[in-house]
Amino acid sequence: MATLRRVLANRFVLVPGLLAIVVLAWNAYVFTHHHGIVAGRVVDQAGRPVGGASVALWVYNFTTYEEKEHVTTDHDGTFRFTNNPSHRIQVSAEKPGVGRSERVPVFLYFRSQDIDLSAPLRLAGAG
Amino acid sequence: MAGVWRVRRQRTRLALLLWCFLAPSLAIFLLYRVIPVIWNLVLSFQYWSPLKPAEPAGLDHYEDLLYDDVFWQALWNTLIVIASAPIGIVLALVLALLVNAEIRGRDAYRTIIFTSYPLMTVAVAIIWRWMFDERVGLLNYAARSLHLIDTPIPFLNSFTWALPCVIVANIWQMLGFYMIILLTGLQNIPHELHEAAAIDGASAAGRFRRITLPLLRPSIFLAFVIGMLNSVTSFDLVYVMTGGGPGRATEILVTYIYKLGFNQTKFDDAAAVTVVFFVLLVATTWGANRFAGGEAGAAETE
Amino acid sequence: MNRYPRWPIHLALVVVSGVMLVPFYWVLKTSVSGENIYAYPPSIVPARIHPFFYVDVWYAIPFARYLMNSVVVSAIAVAGNVVFNAMAGYALTHGFRGKGFVVLLFLTCMMVPFQATIIPAYLITGRLGLLDSWLGLALPQCSTIICIFVFKASFDAVPRSLIDAARIDGLSEWRIIWHVMMPLSKSAIATNVILAFIWSWNNFLWPLIMTRTADMQTLPLGLARFLSYQEDTTGALYAFCIMVLAPGLLLFLMAQKEFMRGLTSGAVKG
Repeated sequence: MATLRRVLANRFVLVPGLLAIVVLAWNAYVFTHHHGIVAGRVVDQAGRPVGGASVALWVYNFTTYEEKEHVTTDHDGTFRFTNNPSHRIQVSAEKPGVGRSERVPVFLYFRSQDIDLSAPLRLAGAG
Repeated sequence: MAGVWRVRRQRTRLALLLWCFLAPSLAIFLLYRVIPVIWNLVLSFQYWSPLKPAEPAGLDHYEDLLYDDVFWQALWNTLIVIASAPIGIVLALVLALLVNAEIRGRDAYRTIIFTSYPLMTVAVAIIWRWMFDERVGLLNYAARSLHLIDTPIPFLNSFTWALPCVIVANIWQMLGFYMIILLTGLQNIPHELHEAAAIDGASAAGRFRRITLPLLRPSIFLAFVIGMLNSVTSFDLVYVMTGGGPGRATEILVTYIYKLGFNQTKFDDAAAVTVVFFVLLVATTWGANRFAGGEAGAAETE
Repeated sequence: MNRYPRWPIHLALVVVSGVMLVPFYWVLKTSVSGENIYAYPPSIVPARIHPFFYVDVWYAIPFARYLMNSVVVSAIAVAGNVVFNAMAGYALTHGFRGKGFVVLLFLTCMMVPFQATIIPAYLITGRLGLLDSWLGLALPQCSTIICIFVFKASFDAVPRSLIDAARIDGLSEWRIIWHVMMPLSKSAIATNVILAFIWSWNNFLWPLIMTRTADMQTLPLGLARFLSYQEDTTGALYAFCIMVLAPGLLLFLMAQKEFMRGLTSGAVKG
């Protein structure tokens, strides 16, 4: 038992061991959270949820962002993409008559990370 | 009588076993050090091409070298680099003296200064390339803030500044290494000598000149040889920092050998340059050996 | 010992330490904040910190593949070094006919820098059919002369009585190395491991010459290619630098003593 403790306390075992544990834990997290789900809300300038707005997902491709997918928000203003392939994306929303939002960049920690956007997309200006 | 034979047999068996132990290392050095040196020499006297067998070429390649401007520029640059090795060593000597003093935290200082050596030279080259940058480099910014210059200097793009900049980056990386060698030499000088001289009334400067420096000679020689070898073979640094440019201002013999051999596939010309390079190295080491007073000290200093 | 003021020494050393550390800090700062790539004047403290350049680097190039190549080649080189150098060092502790010749050969080989052998080394590796393979990348680095002498010095220090006792017990020479000498030479092994790892991890010229396909490249090659491919216009390049420097730095910090000791015992490799 004492030799086991001495082996573990050796820095050449401790440091790589800790690194291995961190790597394994990270990989486990990635494995359980990489479905490519991007969810969020759309609101108008007053903060009221906007239903039926068209939301676009832009995917980074070497030098520019390209539009990849469109979904429409539900009546309570929420939207949900389900197969985002990339780690660097933008989302934007618009609804004719209400306005359009900026292209909000979203940086993820790994490809297809599931994410719930905290700040809602704000529509501004008249369509 | 039989006992003598048995001992003989055992001894031969032992010798055979020892040669077997030496075999892998010997094989590697044979393959990758001895044979290449010989093959280089042979190759420099041949016309080599990948498809045909080699034909003898006499001194043609060396004659080509005589008329090759790039070769002379590379040789000149290499000589400048060799001549700059002492600068790093003097700096390292000062540092070693400082770190050797009895101050708290000397181990921390030693570690910090040595940290630059085990780094990947490619990364060091990228970092320094950026520090010397004309628009956003730290050095230009510092010089302008101190009002030393008005307009930024294009360090790595100017014919006069490029090679000194590469030398600075190399010294930055090797400073810790030289310091450690000199520090080991310093710590091997017995205290009693200094104390006896101090009691006899010698000043600090006098003690340094008469005691420290002579006893430090083997270490200084070792540091010089290593420094020279390292800076002259600093392919990584030159290739990533400047690629040999601008023009050929930072081309050293090693990068020229690489470009001749692997960009232009002229293995025979590259072999001739390699032979010249090797002769230069041996001559410089031998010259330094003579200058240091015949103290070879290369292999086992301590 | 005469008294002299300490603070000028501290001041000078702090300045020098600053000079040595500023490049690190600068590249670290840019790798987490992306500033100072276009902006002038540069800011000393980053405004916004984010790790997303590291994510970019991971996906922009086959970083995992390069990392694996580097790790495998270094592992082979380290294993080869420890085994072959121990064997050679042990052989050198005995006296035998031709020992002087062997030692002289080793010493002269130390004077031959790798850069003077690249052309024939490439041709030889080609003839052996090892171009573009892990073994070919690692082979020239599988034995180093400094490390042989480190082992020899360590083995010389083992008391003869132990060796004689082992021989009387009937151990063969091979087992003497592994069961008697090596357990007593922990620091020599550590020195070997560290030196071999650092040299093979940082090796740039040999993989540059040797690899034919992008798949077999090692980290230094990947870094140089990234520079020429992406220019220095993004923080990703500097994130790559940090990712590449981290293992060497970590190993060095864990094992400084062994590293420095190995280098000063007759270092002429550089």
